[in-house]
Amino acid sequence: MVANVSRVPTKRRTAARLAIGDLARHLALLLVALAFLYPLFWVTISSFKPGDDIATSPLSLDLGNLSLDNYSSLLSAVPMGVGFKNTAIVVIGKGLLTMFFCPLAGFAFAKFHFRGRKVLFTLVLGTMMLPPIVFMIPLLLEMGTLGWVNSYQALILPGSIGAFGIFWMRQQISEVPDDLLDAGRMDGCSPFGLFWRIVLPVLRPALAALAILTFIDVYNDFVWPVVIINSNDMQTLQVMLSAVTTQINNAQIGTTGQSAWGEILAACALATLPLLVLFVILQRHFIQGVLAGSVKG
Amino acid sequence: MKALDAQRIPPAATAAAFFRARRWVGGSFAPYTFILPFFVVFAAFGLYPLLYTFRLSLTYWHGSGSPRFIGLSNYSFLLTDSLFWQSIGNSAFLWLLIVPVQTVFSVLIAVILSAKTLRLRWLFRTAFLTPYVVPLVAVAQIWLIFFDGTDGAVNTILHMAHLPTAGWLTDPTWAKPTMALMVLWKNCGFSILIMLAALQSIPEALYEAAALDGAGAVRLFWRITVPMLRRTISFFVIIATLGVLQMFAEPYVLTQGGPYNSTTTAGYHLLDYINNADFGTGAANSFLLMLLVIAIALLLPWLLRMGEE
Repeated sequence: MVANVSRVPTKRRTAARLAIGDLARHLALLLVALAFLYPLFWVTISSFKPGDDIATSPLSLDLGNLSLDNYSSLLSAVPMGVGFKNTAIVVIGKGLLTMFFCPLAGFAFAKFHFRGRKVLFTLVLGTMMLPPIVFMIPLLLEMGTLGWVNSYQALILPGSIGAFGIFWMRQQISEVPDDLLDAGRMDGCSPFGLFWRIVLPVLRPALAALAILTFIDVYNDFVWPVVIINSNDMQTLQVMLSAVTTQINNAQIGTTGQSAWGEILAACALATLPLLVLFVILQRHFIQGVLAGSVKG
Repeated sequence: MKALDAQRIPPAATAAAFFRARRWVGGSFAPYTFILPFFVVFAAFGLYPLLYTFRLSLTYWHGSGSPRFIGLSNYSFLLTDSLFWQSIGNSAFLWLLIVPVQTVFSVLIAVILSAKTLRLRWLFRTAFLTPYVVPLVAVAQIWLIFFDGTDGAVNTILHMAHLPTAGWLTDPTWAKPTMALMVLWKNCGFSILIMLAALQSIPEALYEAAALDGAGAVRLFWRITVPMLRRTISFFVIIATLGVLQMFAEPYVLTQGGPYNSTTTAGYHLLDYINNADFGTGAANSFLLMLLVIAIALLLPWLLRMGEE
């Protein structure tokens, strides 16, 4: 009886403490989430505001003066469509190469016993250690020699069959049951037939994640395109965006004030939109991809 | 494969050699053809540039005429060049501003995110990861406007609160922290996700046993969570360190390396050589940077493991 009396309030106190802890957790996460999302919300809203307003009252939420003016003046001055087209070509080109050759090599390393397999696989992994940035100068000169400056080849081929993709696909293909492959062999499949008819279909979920990761990587890639592309009609979306912002940012100093901020933000919003839509729709696959990327060490 | 072989049966002697070779490699040439494309691409756009960099780094060459061999002069020049050391120093400073903060922050948020009673977990997870997908150029533009010296939102707020304002991107003291903040904002979602995955793989039984022994939340964190996360944290520190060393795009879009070279990172410094068409010195700098990256990639795991004992 005595024990009972003393236990009830303790339980209630613990429950209260748990509730407070819970509330604190939710509040903390909510604050961080706001800090992560607010700038994006701000860009979206501001891209519909006149440029001068963005400078004079950056944080105001006056919905009365929203208009599509920034977008129409941006699109009449800058051929964003060209950027979208070039990015699409590079994404598709690099994507197809990755989606075909990475699983193919992964298949060889996962399911075949051949002389030198270990050494060759170590070599593949070793290339991941080489920092891409140091290739910038020699690759630029190589492209000059090949006459590939300002070409789709230059944007697509270097780094198109990545060691990470091979490593990851090998992990995934190792889990494909050998019985399945043996059955295929009995049916007279060639090694490539096994890959094409059995491995690729079974691998679909992992391929989807690889595709999304490649898409985001290539879409956002910026360093190499900015070095190798100097003609206006070959610019990818990111190069174009950076050229637009640099031009306007530099031109506005001391002349027109910040009136061009609206157009810049409209360009940013346009360039971000496709990725955000894709991310929200496919976020489960994307998260799976990022996690796979994180276990490579 | 059998059908394929039948089509190209070579004359008797070569045929015997062919079959012997095929047996020797393990029964089929197919796996070699499957991995060949990777090695072709790597040879053309990885190995060749690498060897070319090394050869070029021993020459004096400004883009026209033929490179003149000058031995190790480029290297001895760089090792005494203040700009080279400043670029390495800037990267080291940025490392300090980014990697420890990102690690601690990600672990804390991941721990909160994995609380059992948490609602809307997927919503928070998606929110944190969103900046990671936004193109860097757009992120930089947000920063340029928020942190503008005269009309930026940050200074506007500080001014209204009667706090001192600063030239966030024009003052060498503030440019690095402002850039570090951008990197943190963009990349933390990724590291939170890694930590979250590692947390989920810790067996629940460990916590239950310790809780039975009367351990509180803080103790559980230090005694179980941190030791169990050690491998993931090491892994993250290594890739983050290599990322900071190679950082190029961030200074390019935000500060162009300025003000007064205060944000010229080791990676961004390479662009100066391209702009000056000083390819010999640039190649030598690239090569030094690569040696540094490889040394860190090999040494850091060892250093981090030393702490375990």
